[in-house]
Amino acid sequence: MADNEDAGATVAEPLDLVRLSLDEIVFVKLRGDRELKGRLHAYDSHCNLVLGDVEETIYVVEEDENEEEITRTIKKQEEMLFVRGESALTTICNGHRR
Amino acid sequence: MLFFSFFKTLTNQTVTIELKNDIRIRGILKSVDQYLNIKLDDIEVLDLDKYPHLSSVKNMFIRGSVVRYVILPRSEVDVGLLEDATRREAANQAGKAR
Amino acid sequence: MHLSIVHFEYSIGVDPRAWRFLPEAARPAELRSRSPKLLPPPPPNRPPTFAHLTFLPSAKGSMSFFGFDTNLPRDRQGGPAASRGFFENPDPFAEVARASALEDDDAIDFEDTYDGLGDQLDDDQDAFNDDTFGGGGGGTDTGPVGKDFDFFGKTATVADAIGEEQIRYSLQHPQAAPAAGQSAQPAAAPAATATTKRSGYEKYSDPGFIPDLQAKSSVWGISQKKPEPIPTQAQARKMMSLEEVEAQMRNQGYQSSPVPQSISQHMAEPSYMRHHQDITLPDGFPTIPPEVLRAQLERGGPPPGMPHPPPGMPELHAGPPPGIQGMPPHLMMQGNLPPQNLPQGPRHAGPPPNQRPQQIPPPTTRGPNGGLPVITDPQQLVHLTEEQRNAYLVEDAKRAKRNHKIFLLSRGNGLMTPQDKNFITRIQLQQLVAAAGNVADSDPEAVLAEDFYYQVYSQIRGAPRQHPHQPLGHFAQTYLLQTGNRVGGHGNRRAFQSADNHMQRMQQQVQRAVEAAKAKPKNKQLIIEGSLGKISFSNAKAPKPMLNIKRPDSSEGPRPKKLQSDLSLSDRKSILTNIERVYSALMSMEDMERTMPPPPEEGDAEAIQEHMEWRQKVHALNQKLWHSLKVMEPIVPNSTTPHPFIAFLSYPKGKKAIPRIFRHIDQEQRVTILTMIVVHLDSLDVVRLAQPVPGEAQFSVAMREAIDLFSLAVMPSLLGYVNEAPFNIIIGLLGLVIAQTHVQTVARTKVGLGILTMLLSRAEIVKEAGQASERDWQQWVEKFNVLFDTLEPALADIFPGSINSGDDMYVWQFLAAVGIGASPEQQQRLVIAVKDRVMETVAYSKTLPAEMSSQRLGNVNLFMRAIGLDVELLG
Repeated sequence: MADNEDAGATVAEPLDLVRLSLDEIVFVKLRGDRELKGRLHAYDSHCNLVLGDVEETIYVVEEDENEEEITRTIKKQEEMLFVRGESALTTICNGHRR
Repeated sequence: MLFFSFFKTLTNQTVTIELKNDIRIRGILKSVDQYLNIKLDDIEVLDLDKYPHLSSVKNMFIRGSVVRYVILPRSEVDVGLLEDATRREAANQAGKAR
Repeated sequence: MHLSIVHFEYSIGVDPRAWRFLPEAARPAELRSRSPKLLPPPPPNRPPTFAHLTFLPSAKGSMSFFGFDTNLPRDRQGGPAASRGFFENPDPFAEVARASALEDDDAIDFEDTYDGLGDQLDDDQDAFNDDTFGGGGGGTDTGPVGKDFDFFGKTATVADAIGEEQIRYSLQHPQAAPAAGQSAQPAAAPAATATTKRSGYEKYSDPGFIPDLQAKSSVWGISQKKPEPIPTQAQARKMMSLEEVEAQMRNQGYQSSPVPQSISQHMAEPSYMRHHQDITLPDGFPTIPPEVLRAQLERGGPPPGMPHPPPGMPELHAGPPPGIQGMPPHLMMQGNLPPQNLPQGPRHAGPPPNQRPQQIPPPTTRGPNGGLPVITDPQQLVHLTEEQRNAYLVEDAKRAKRNHKIFLLSRGNGLMTPQDKNFITRIQLQQLVAAAGNVADSDPEAVLAEDFYYQVYSQIRGAPRQHPHQPLGHFAQTYLLQTGNRVGGHGNRRAFQSADNHMQRMQQQVQRAVEAAKAKPKNKQLIIEGSLGKISFSNAKAPKPMLNIKRPDSSEGPRPKKLQSDLSLSDRKSILTNIERVYSALMSMEDMERTMPPPPEEGDAEAIQEHMEWRQKVHALNQKLWHSLKVMEPIVPNSTTPHPFIAFLSYPKGKKAIPRIFRHIDQEQRVTILTMIVVHLDSLDVVRLAQPVPGEAQFSVAMREAIDLFSLAVMPSLLGYVNEAPFNIIIGLLGLVIAQTHVQTVARTKVGLGILTMLLSRAEIVKEAGQASERDWQQWVEKFNVLFDTLEPALADIFPGSINSGDDMYVWQFLAAVGIGASPEQQQRLVIAVKDRVMETVAYSKTLPAEMSSQRLGNVNLFMRAIGLDVELLG
């Protein structure tokens, strides 16, 4: 669903690309196996973000009784979320509108 | 300064801060500085049974860099204005870079 | 306040080794030469680069004014005469301490230590202020005295001269023998006093003068050396205290020599100064009678037979002793001082035995503790009774203890120059200002740039504004009026209000049309119209539609445009880029609005020019905005990619931009946008993707949001234009709907019906107002008939879902608008088409609470009355 392939439009700086996603739904990968999907309302040069109608997905790897690893996901919803920059350093991708 | 400006409008609102060590604290945002250090009053630690040592803490100064999220009251955020403020900040940054 | 200008140290570029001499520098040579009690010789090897000028406070003030002290604590502890700023002064609290009970003085409190001198402050004593500040010049010159004294800076300006003097002196007197210095200098004193005219304040007359900031290496601890044991005779000169200067002034007053000159002499001739100082004593202390001083001055030089002035503390001017362990060995070895007396302070570190006693006033006559004689000579102790001596020694020990405490407290004194402090203060203030976001004094534009969100938000939400003077008013308006942008709580409420407003306006418009139609029977319309005569509409407000539309050949029949369901990424990216460009242009234009120059007056060429330039800029921005909107891109029929402007409108931020765009474009551009939307009505996302699906009661959340947003943000702008549009535009637009769009698709959506309602009701109002020419009206009826025929089969499907699904108000509005314009025959067909829905709604409303019931019935009745009926008639 996410795709941030550069298709040729001239974007001077990475953050300009982010600007295009203002008021659009974005995916954000965070440290610690977390992902956020929500509408981007603000960002700055430190990659601090404000997202609206966010769904947070946390991937937790657990071992079941057979000692097999199972990835469990925890989902949380927030209406309005500030995300500290260094958490969000990994990636920001434009999501397609549904 | 975008987010400093932003958080100033949220003083005296109840927010929930999730730290990078997973502790979630709800309290009244009393003040914030340009490093996004945050002072919280009348705090309440969610999952208090996990962190009993925090049970007697009534207010906190939270260093900005340990914050993962700040969950904000949606009604206190003007997203349209925030997006424009973000655009202005981006333009300012670009202007400074040149 | 009396200020004495005594000595001050500049150590820029000073050889670090020089610092080891510093303690010596704290001894005033003159004291040694004049007062029989103290008077160590001038230092034989003073650091050459020290200019010594310091401002010390009056004892009356009892506080350190600047606290100039150039030593670090460790150096200060090194010697008894270490420079310690204020604390070099005679212990100002001694008398009080003496007076107070002999018990516990572990803690220093104000009551114990306050000398009460503040109460004795006498305004009369300000008489010397002018002298001190170089103002009145002894009453001869009464120029105004400013408030911007900058002693440090002013002194700095003569620092070079002072330094030169130092060097010159030290060259002239290499390892100067104390005797030589003492004998030579006092002799020269009167001459210098009489002749020197420099005050050191000359540069005050230059208002733009900025003193050099001369940092002291001592501040940074670079050049600090462990103070070496001080040679016995190497007693440095000391700062001149206020008392000294006062005494000097008094003394010179007796000699009728102008006081300012003596001050200037000390500033300009520091090398001389060391050897020519007068002393005085603090209040309540034995004062050397002026005549004695004068006598001594005239005598010149120290008392004979005094090759090595006593090493004991110079009376009144040595700082509190740092403690016994800190005493230089040479003092320990003196032998004429009992060890417990060493830290006592100067008063008791007496003169050598060979001092002439007659110069000391009888000690017993003064002092608050009259029970104990004032001991100025250790030898006096011998003559005291045992009891007295014990009491005296106890008292002394306590005093020493307290002095030590004061010393500890004062350690940091004088580490920084006032300039340093100012500098730090400024930095701290800056940080504070930055932290508080309080940049009241700076450019409002800068504030806006840095703090835009807070500033505008505060205005909108009524928070206390920090800077009411700032031109933010219209910013707040911009965002306040941006209904579509507001998602949050307050915003939501406003948004809903605005949505209601929009629907209400639509309702009002339809109602007006209905009322007008009812008032005038249809068969009289032409007559009425004719009776009012023709009205021309060929005006500037009715431009020809500018769009260059290639009409597809396959004109009629259902041809829902099959659009690529998702745009390719490049399109998406370029569209988003366009949108951001639009926002950039919009924000620039909103900024321009604030900087609009006032309307120029007649003949003010400059203002007119300014205004013209501003208009040009606005025009350029308008063009940029218009270009970014891509409204004028050619329309490609049957294209799989939507027109760029329609794509623009498919993004939430595109929709949100419309109200702001409409504020900054002219009527022609507005009608172009409206035309573009009408032409593409069935390819708008809110029409194309909002077709009701059988079996599904509701759209997706995203689609509902999109429809709401379009209704909130775009429709009011369009309605605002349509409400003023001339009839021919309305006719043209209806024609475009019929010709260019799939009417049934359009009619099945809220947005589509809304736009049709707009056009129909506007036409009716124009007609009722008699503003439509007969030819125009016939044209309109023609188009209307086509629309009616096209829509008739679909009329039952235009309702959103089942009867209980809620919002069908917009449908009744539309039906009412159709009903007014319809012929009686068409009205009948209309009733047949929607009869079932009318009956259902009436029946359903009976099951609803009264309020909702009346609302639903009201909606239906809007339509019913449009065709001359009423729900009441249905029973």
